[in-house]
Amino acid sequence: MFRKIIIVMIFLMFGLCSNYLFAQQKYEKESRIKPKDVPSKAMNFIDSINLKNRVKWYLEEGLETKSIEAKFKYNSKKYSVEFDTLGNIEDAEIEIKWDEMQTPFKDSISSQLKKDCLKQKIVKVQIQYSGTSSEILSKLRENKTSGNLTIKYEVVVRCKSKDTVVLFEYLFNKKAQVLSRSEIIFKNSSHLEY
Amino acid sequence: MVFLELLFVNVAQAQSTYQFGALPSLNINNKFQNGWSLNSKVESRQLMKSGNFNENSNTEYKYVLTDFSFITAKKIGLNSRIAGGYLFRLRETEIFHRFIQQYTIVQKMNGFRLAHRFSSDQTFSNGEKPEFRLRYRITSEIPLNGESVDPKEFYIKLNNEYINSWQGTDYDFEIRLVPLLGYDITDNNKIEVGLDYRVNSFLNNNTRHSFWLSLNWFIEI
Repeated sequence: MFRKIIIVMIFLMFGLCSNYLFAQQKYEKESRIKPKDVPSKAMNFIDSINLKNRVKWYLEEGLETKSIEAKFKYNSKKYSVEFDTLGNIEDAEIEIKWDEMQTPFKDSISSQLKKDCLKQKIVKVQIQYSGTSSEILSKLRENKTSGNLTIKYEVVVRCKSKDTVVLFEYLFNKKAQVLSRSEIIFKNSSHLEY
Repeated sequence: MVFLELLFVNVAQAQSTYQFGALPSLNINNKFQNGWSLNSKVESRQLMKSGNFNENSNTEYKYVLTDFSFITAKKIGLNSRIAGGYLFRLRETEIFHRFIQQYTIVQKMNGFRLAHRFSSDQTFSNGEKPEFRLRYRITSEIPLNGESVDPKEFYIKLNNEYINSWQGTDYDFEIRLVPLLGYDITDNNKIEVGLDYRVNSFLNNNTRHSFWLSLNWFIEI
């Protein structure tokens, strides 16, 4: 009898495997790399900022893309500078507080978030600068904003809908218009819960 | 610390028994819409050695039991879930029925993840009095490469659990410590190997140590 019960239970467990997968997870892998493995062009760029704090280097791998990222603290703010695998700069991001943003801009973003979520909470705000290497360097080193520098805002929001709670990453332009919105998928945690 | 001290005094002064064996498990987690999920698990216990410390031991292999559990969970916050389910245990000719309720919260820290699990369960069988338990478990997942565990990477998992149990007029307290080495085969497949150490009955001077070779396979669907 016990053998029959075991067989039925195993069939039941594997029968459940045939359900559909509702959400695809975006493949993104971030691994730490040593400074000696960083392209010299990227290393020279970071060296020219004359940082006192330690720089952590990462390799970010997507399904079709790879990039090198430098993370560090500078003037009490968190910085993240992204390069391609040859060391050419792609953009620089500086984490700021929500309160540091100007009121009309904050109001525009807030009204957009109220449309999308029943309840929302700002988790993280980053200003993203992209442009030429010298333009980004003068922004980071001397806080000079050249007119050619493209400025975007990356806002991570905890968004409660009718049925669930999710984390969204919004990208806004200078006029607070939404450029993109993507859901941040958490890594599986069933091995930590059961 | 007080518990550890009690434990060591107890081991030194009183009868202590031990058992050693294997605890392989297969865990399948199905995700549904709107934050619902179903976790199905089968776990089997095999005894390889048992006895008293400083005395002869019995090294005969013995199959002990198999558990089947089905737990439904609902995401209630960004990182938290409530769950309830049923466990079916086959031990020799006995059948045990266990009802499980739990609340879990997973925190992303700088360079590792921490999960807290608060749970209660009620076990019923024909041959024994009902058993009621209150449990708390803290689990950490430490990646061995980078900031988070990614496919084809190893990680360390540490479980520490405290279990209060009441059965009739008896009360017992159990501590579990489970260090594991894990490997993330793909995003949806993980295997873990390590030691599942359990100690109980030390409050009534009859300490029982259990050492299980833990082998876990987690599948996410």
